[in-house]
Amino acid sequence: MRFLRSSLEETEWQVLEATTARLGLNLAASKKPDVIILDLGLPDQDGLEVLKGLRKWTSAPVIIVSARGQESDKIAGLDAGADDYLTKPFGINELMARLRVALRHAERSPGDTPPVYEHEGLKVDLVARRVWLRKKEIHLSPLQYDVLAVLVRNAGRVVSQRQLMKEVWGESREVTSEAVRIFVYQLRHKIELDPVRPRCLKTEPGVGYRLEAPND
Amino acid sequence: MTSTDSGLTSSLPWRDYGFAVGIAATTTALAFAIYPFFELTNLVMLYLLGTLAVATRGHRGPAALSSLLSVLCFDFFFVPPRFSFRVSDAQYIVTFAVMFTAAMIISHLTVRLRLKAEAARQGQLRTVMMHELTQQLTTARGADEILSAAACHIEEIFNSLVTAFVPNQAGNLVVKKSPEESGGLSEKARSVAQWVYESGQPAGLGTQALSVADALYVPLQGAGEPVGVLRIQPRLPERILASDQRLLLNSFAHQIGLALEVDRLRENAKKTELEIEAERLRSSLLSSVSHDFRTPLAAIVGSAGALLEKENLRDNHSVRELLENIQTEGERLSRLVQNLLEATRLESGAVRIRKELYPFEEVIGSALDRLGKLLTQRKVDVILPEDLPLVPVDGVLIEQVLINLLENAVRHTPPESRIEVSVRAEAGNVLVSVADEGPGLTEEEIGRVFDKFYHGRSSPGAGLGLAICRAIVLAHEGRIWAENRLGRGAVFCLTLPLGKQSE
Repeated sequence: MRFLRSSLEETEWQVLEATTARLGLNLAASKKPDVIILDLGLPDQDGLEVLKGLRKWTSAPVIIVSARGQESDKIAGLDAGADDYLTKPFGINELMARLRVALRHAERSPGDTPPVYEHEGLKVDLVARRVWLRKKEIHLSPLQYDVLAVLVRNAGRVVSQRQLMKEVWGESREVTSEAVRIFVYQLRHKIELDPVRPRCLKTEPGVGYRLEAPND
Repeated sequence: MTSTDSGLTSSLPWRDYGFAVGIAATTTALAFAIYPFFELTNLVMLYLLGTLAVATRGHRGPAALSSLLSVLCFDFFFVPPRFSFRVSDAQYIVTFAVMFTAAMIISHLTVRLRLKAEAARQGQLRTVMMHELTQQLTTARGADEILSAAACHIEEIFNSLVTAFVPNQAGNLVVKKSPEESGGLSEKARSVAQWVYESGQPAGLGTQALSVADALYVPLQGAGEPVGVLRIQPRLPERILASDQRLLLNSFAHQIGLALEVDRLRENAKKTELEIEAERLRSSLLSSVSHDFRTPLAAIVGSAGALLEKENLRDNHSVRELLENIQTEGERLSRLVQNLLEATRLESGAVRIRKELYPFEEVIGSALDRLGKLLTQRKVDVILPEDLPLVPVDGVLIEQVLINLLENAVRHTPPESRIEVSVRAEAGNVLVSVADEGPGLTEEEIGRVFDKFYHGRSSPGAGLGLAICRAIVLAHEGRIWAENRLGRGAVFCLTLPLGKQSE
């Protein structure tokens, strides 16, 4: 991880490393970092357990790191409170992007989301509940808008299917994952110029969806 | 199947004695009837006939009795003075002698004929039984089946309990098949079997070795060394001693031994074949892996070395070039490792397909996204009908398939050429094709391009990408194939079953 550390320290990040869960938890408790990067494959404890332990006392953003093919781990991590994930091997750019998003979401208080999202011709006004594509207003059904709103509020972060179901449909209503997919599909056809090559609403197969972060 | 108990005696001897007396009486009565019309000489013929009738029964005793009775009756009832014996009748001793000799000859011949017929019958029976056994043995596969069939046959034909021994891996005899009735075997029995196996000689009942045992031990021998031992415990010990029985048993043992030998040779041949195949794969993997890993590694190490050496490189352009090289080769290596791991996981069956209904557009979208900069210089057209139904697929895996196919197309076609991805629903399946405008495929490539480690004529890359595609598509119960397009270029197609739609 040497290259990561050196690249990160060149920007304004300070890096604290721990090779085991125990050391890591101690470090997190004592130093109160702004973002925690947690490798799910730690030698001494199951990554998920570490995450659950962390979430008991800190709301600092946690980015979990795991290998390809472990989609179920990633989902479990996201459901257990992780904010985003990275798949090994990842590049420094990917990491920086995730960190930026994580920090941005952390710095805001829950009600303090920016009212307007703008990216690649798509504009969403959360207050007015209106959506424009290339300056032309588009019409979304209430549920389609709700899905988009959840994604906007989590812009730049991955949103798992389960999270989407919970925040849009609530705990009580039964909705299948394929229904959710159909909604996203319909939404994508409305807000993307080329739904096969989405600029904003990206799919992370096996995990969920991500609305690209607006260009800073 | 019939038992081989000798049925030489078709009737009891005393019955034939009675028969002899009866014949004598009958002949006499007959003689009385024709006496007025014929010479004495003809009456003798009558008696002769009667005696011969008795002789054909096959027993000498009654035949002798019959000849005696015949002469006496003839003499007493018909030779003057009638109803008496006279000294002058002594000449009839000759008659008697002739009759007796004739009777003896006939009965002897009859017995021999019978014996021959019986022997022929036995021989034919043996052939039939051997044929039946051989039939069963040829269709049996594996030592277990062979020994089951053999034991079954022997138990029925010879009315015995059969135990079969074969050597295990270490070369010690173990019981492979034991009869259902008996309990365990004694140590003595096992040691006898061991001796028989090692010496290749039979032992037990009716042999010279260990004749006190209660069973017969026969080695199973084909063309070479003994391959097992049979322990035959007859329910009626005397029967097994008959020589024709032993002959049959030996033939059986020989056949069984041959069958076991053939079976073992076949197993060895199969194992060798498998080993050869495994070795071939191993060495091709080794050569492929070593080349495909060493090339990018060499590039990375080389570039890094060059950078370190010429620390004060003024030329930013070459620095940048070297760094880009490291990154590209590093990524190639990374993909290689990824593919290798994926292929291994798929092979070992560790991957479970989790099918969910996806709008196929989504899968294509994420595949295109993942490929990112690889495709920025390329024109990729996507043709998707509006009304395409949802497809039940494992999203992650099928995305991988599309990525591999697209990568493959990019790698093998000129940078200016177009790549076309088209999808359509057809006959309960979704048909996906990735078509390019490249040089197309040779006959050999069409057949082998999805094989593991097949490089084709162009670039290295461990040849696993397409093999992984095939494994994933097959796991989805679909098909994947490659063909040349009309015009130019190749097209890689796959079908995925739509299954039942829930909507």
